[in-house]
Amino acid sequence: MNAPDPLERGARGGVTPGHFFGHGLPYVSIADYPGKIIAIEGTDGVGRTTQIRLLREWLEVRGYGVVETGWTRSPLMAPTIELAKTSNTLNKLTFVLLYACDFADRLEKEIIPALKAGFIVIADRYIYTAIARAGVRGVDSQWIRRLYGFAIAPHLVFYLKIDPDALARRVLQDSGMSYWESGMDMKSGDDIYDSFRTSQRALLKEYAAMSDEFGFRVLEGRKSINAIQEDLRRQVGELLEGEAGADVVKT
Amino acid sequence: MTFSLLHATDFADRLLYKIVPPLKAGMIVLADRYAYTAFARDVARGVDRQWVRDLYSFAVKPDLAVYFRVPIDVSLDRLLARRVKLKFYEAGMDMGWSANATDSFRIFQSKVLEEYDRIVDEHGLDVIDARGSITEQQRRLRDIAGALLETAQP
Repeated sequence: MNAPDPLERGARGGVTPGHFFGHGLPYVSIADYPGKIIAIEGTDGVGRTTQIRLLREWLEVRGYGVVETGWTRSPLMAPTIELAKTSNTLNKLTFVLLYACDFADRLEKEIIPALKAGFIVIADRYIYTAIARAGVRGVDSQWIRRLYGFAIAPHLVFYLKIDPDALARRVLQDSGMSYWESGMDMKSGDDIYDSFRTSQRALLKEYAAMSDEFGFRVLEGRKSINAIQEDLRRQVGELLEGEAGADVVKT
Repeated sequence: MTFSLLHATDFADRLLYKIVPPLKAGMIVLADRYAYTAFARDVARGVDRQWVRDLYSFAVKPDLAVYFRVPIDVSLDRLLARRVKLKFYEAGMDMGWSANATDSFRIFQSKVLEEYDRIVDEHGLDVIDARGSITEQQRRLRDIAGALLETAQP
């Protein structure tokens, strides 16, 4: 007998949108839920927030119900994660597990109920962020993918792509480089600029590696806000106007 | 699911700060519950059996794992004799199976015990009959632990 694929039950490409990647939550059956998940991925400072705001407006004007869910924003975990980040005792494993816990809370309390009710869920970052960050920190890639086997495969994944140089300038102009975004926890040096560059480059590599497998729709982050938004709306429109969008709630 | 992941986070923290360093120093670590508790409790709550095992694959496999087996009635009697109220999660009240804590405990813990029986076979746990007296149980535990330590270098 052949050994089973170690990723057979974990997060991987080729899973039907709206289904669990792997083992899932045995106590919820989601197969016929009418809602859709649209995930927007991309590193910090690339313009996700702006694009999500504009997309949401556009969808709502067209009568769709929209729910937004964002990384580390679960009511259960957000305070804990902030606290943990200040304690200096986080290691790569507890870091990864806290993220997973936050995601699980939002999945059960926000995403699944919204899908059931026929909403469009816009996810500001999805499990790919977790996989990329874990990869950069040297966490076993099969383990992290099996861990996220309980996640639901999105209907569309957009990836806002940008090169580290352009990103560095944008972040500096904006809010400045933060400790965690710059991967200072990885102790690659005291210089925050160098650390930012190193860690962002490693992150971009992780995203690139997932791009084909998970079918990312790549959006050029250097294009104008409007050009990106136009591209985004066109592709979302195609999904919703097609057969798959027939069940989505419209008012 | 969040229940399961929060416990895993706590475990990972203890593993790296409290378990691995003494092991490296050649000391004996006594763990009051280990990953097996999660296998039993989380699955009783409806989490996938294989998923939770994959989750804990970062744990160190213990040199010796002992399971104190006791029927539900005995554990209920002992708990109720000591304190008035069963704890909310211990009784599985979060599952909504029964509004009565004792009934809920019985339903939830029988699922937990069923899972433990599966784990005993799967992971080769040593079973001690916990209905016996403390002295008997302790004698048996010392025999098992002693046998392990004799084969190990001090």
